[in-house]
Amino acid sequence: MTNKDNEPQDSARVRSRRRVNQRLRDAVSKETSGDLKDVEIPPKKLDWMKRTYQWGVKADVTDSGLTIGALNVGIYGEIPDRWDDQSRMPRGAYPMPGVPPIGYSISEKRDLWADNAADLYEEAIQRRWTPATDIPWEAIGPLPDDVEAAVCQLCTMLCQHANTEIETLGTWLHQMSYGYHEVKLFLATEMFDAARHFEVFRKRALSNGGGLGLELKGDVKRMIIESRGGWSETALLLYLLRGLFTFTIYRYGSILANNDAEKAIFEKSVQDKARHLSYGLEHLRYAITRQDDKDLVFNNLLGIGERLVARECKEPIVLEPLAVIFGGGVEGAQSGMRTAQRLMSDYVNLYLSSLRSIGIDRSDSLSNDLKSYLL
Amino acid sequence: MTISKEELDLAPAVREFGEDNNLDLSWLDTRGEWGVRAEPSKRGLTLGDIQLGSYGEPGDHSDNMTGRPRGARARNDAYRVGGYKIRSKADIWLSNAHVLYEESLQRQWSSATDVPWNTIKPLPDDIERAQCQLATFLTEVEFVAAEVPGRWLAATTPDYFEPRMFLISQVMDESRHLDVFRKRAFANGGGLMQRPNVTTSGTVGSIDLSNDFTEMSSRLHITGEGSVLTIFRMGELMAYNEAEKTIYRLAAQDEARHVAFGVMHLRYLAETEPERKEEIHCYLDEGEGALVAGNQNPASRDTAQSEALAILLGGGEKNFDEGYRKLMAVRKRQAREYVQRVRSAGFGERFENGRANQELLAYTR
Ligand SMILES: [Fe+2]
Ligand SMILES: [Fe+2]
Repeated sequence: MTNKDNEPQDSARVRSRRRVNQRLRDAVSKETSGDLKDVEIPPKKLDWMKRTYQWGVKADVTDSGLTIGALNVGIYGEIPDRWDDQSRMPRGAYPMPGVPPIGYSISEKRDLWADNAADLYEEAIQRRWTPATDIPWEAIGPLPDDVEAAVCQLCTMLCQHANTEIETLGTWLHQMSYGYHEVKLFLATEMFDAARHFEVFRKRALSNGGGLGLELKGDVKRMIIESRGGWSETALLLYLLRGLFTFTIYRYGSILANNDAEKAIFEKSVQDKARHLSYGLEHLRYAITRQDDKDLVFNNLLGIGERLVARECKEPIVLEPLAVIFGGGVEGAQSGMRTAQRLMSDYVNLYLSSLRSIGIDRSDSLSNDLKSYLL
Repeated sequence: MTISKEELDLAPAVREFGEDNNLDLSWLDTRGEWGVRAEPSKRGLTLGDIQLGSYGEPGDHSDNMTGRPRGARARNDAYRVGGYKIRSKADIWLSNAHVLYEESLQRQWSSATDVPWNTIKPLPDDIERAQCQLATFLTEVEFVAAEVPGRWLAATTPDYFEPRMFLISQVMDESRHLDVFRKRAFANGGGLMQRPNVTTSGTVGSIDLSNDFTEMSSRLHITGEGSVLTIFRMGELMAYNEAEKTIYRLAAQDEARHVAFGVMHLRYLAETEPERKEEIHCYLDEGEGALVAGNQNPASRDTAQSEALAILLGGGEKNFDEGYRKLMAVRKRQAREYVQRVRSAGFGERFENGRANQELLAYTR
């Protein structure tokens, strides 16, 4: 997508910008030669001019432009395992003494880092989209009441998934030290994506004669929001238990969609979600390889978390709307439920294989409730 | 939440079917308002277009502690895990947050590919150092604005999601600002320089520590970003190539939205809770003091970043005096624009009754 204000500029716009700038220059030079002519000018210190840890650095502009990852050259690319500075000093800047601390609680690299964060940040920006104008809303036509109600109930749940993501990231982002800005930048894009998902599913629910449905009881949200021990633990629940489930639903978008608008919504959302999971898995892998018992901690949390996910999935509002949509209405819900079961089976399989990819094997310890979904 | 008659008509046959097929299906008739059909307007299907019926403007207070989407059917057994501190509309609301949010989506840009980096050519050493000093300063203060609004997201009920969504877009914008100025520091054979030699955070009355959203907003959106916006708008005077001009122009677009949010929120508060005006004036008193002292104002005096600006505006160290005079012209503009904004927000009386900071007012003359 190109920025509307950044397309090859028509000459009228350039001319008008030039006129404005000329007026600005004229006004400023009138002021400097008038009122400000005799303003008292303090002696210059210029002590900052030599204050740099490394000078002469030039980052490469590539086919993907000038990326944030490309800036990691020389000392600026040294990303320490611990970041003790408690202020917003940019990594690699020349420090000044006496700056009061802000109070960042996450200052160990192992507690948030993922090597792919910088690239995912740039990718998120390149792949941005706008629910208002990038979805062909006019393609939505009347649906039978039961199907519309099911779509709306699904949208209500997906809004809640997005809302949990927003509130979780909002809680953690400001606790992360500035020395790891790549991760903070990426998580800002994830939060922005989640806002868009919240928006697009609300818009879908309110655009075709339906309306929002019933709220979730909140078992999984509670688990994620009340996870306070560390970002890695929260990330485990947010990405692996909830995130993979949301992702699997989005991935079934092509069969869930009743029209091109819904298809576009799921296609765009699944791309975003894939990025979030990509960071999440990379970080969890990083965290596990740098701490001895992290895999045991994760295993313990997952044992409890799986049961909560299974409990939430037993709520009628989670799988029944999917079954009604897959079945093309209430009458087809029985066969639709078989597709919903397949979706659940895919989710659980993806969960297990994702865990294996970060070095955790739960094939024997998987909770019975989740196991029962495997086909 | 009301359920329409048509909705209830769905029920009997469905219930029977559900019982036969081991399906609950009760959710089909337990839901929020039914029959809503938003139509796309000329800007697509916007948040404004879906503010319909019970999904429209929220009430003055919110009892939503579970995080349900506004207008969804509440249930009694849902966990109250939200812990939302902001549940009074006037604390965070403004009339057009949804418009500003939609605009932000339309105007997103990429610092990697929308800035013509190849137009940056080697510059004299003093200019490059001044540019990198300014970039270092901005890399740091832009992140105040990227971090602080984020803290209010989880603290605000989703019933007031429109301002919340705007704040998320601001976190995104400011992340890009941090990123674009860091990129500028490394784009031309320079590097990062000295971090600000004045305190930008961590003291009482600073943007970081505010416990009240409006206090935070008055400092962040009105005084802080307002003064940065003036500078970005004058970027033409301190840019040495198309890349720098583009950076300032695009960043100014974003800042204008952030400042507009603050002005509109203050206006809403002044209109709906005039009893808070006196308190807000106290924040503005502090903000004006900071504008003059200039901890977060790159155009303040006697700081590394103000000297850097004077060099950039003058065209080199040898023209420092001329640059300094231009810097004072920037400050005059900042002061005038600040006065305009505060007037527009409904707090203009401070400029008539002698309350406003006199040193600041002197700049407007
Ligand atoms: Fe900014
Ligand atoms: Fe801003």
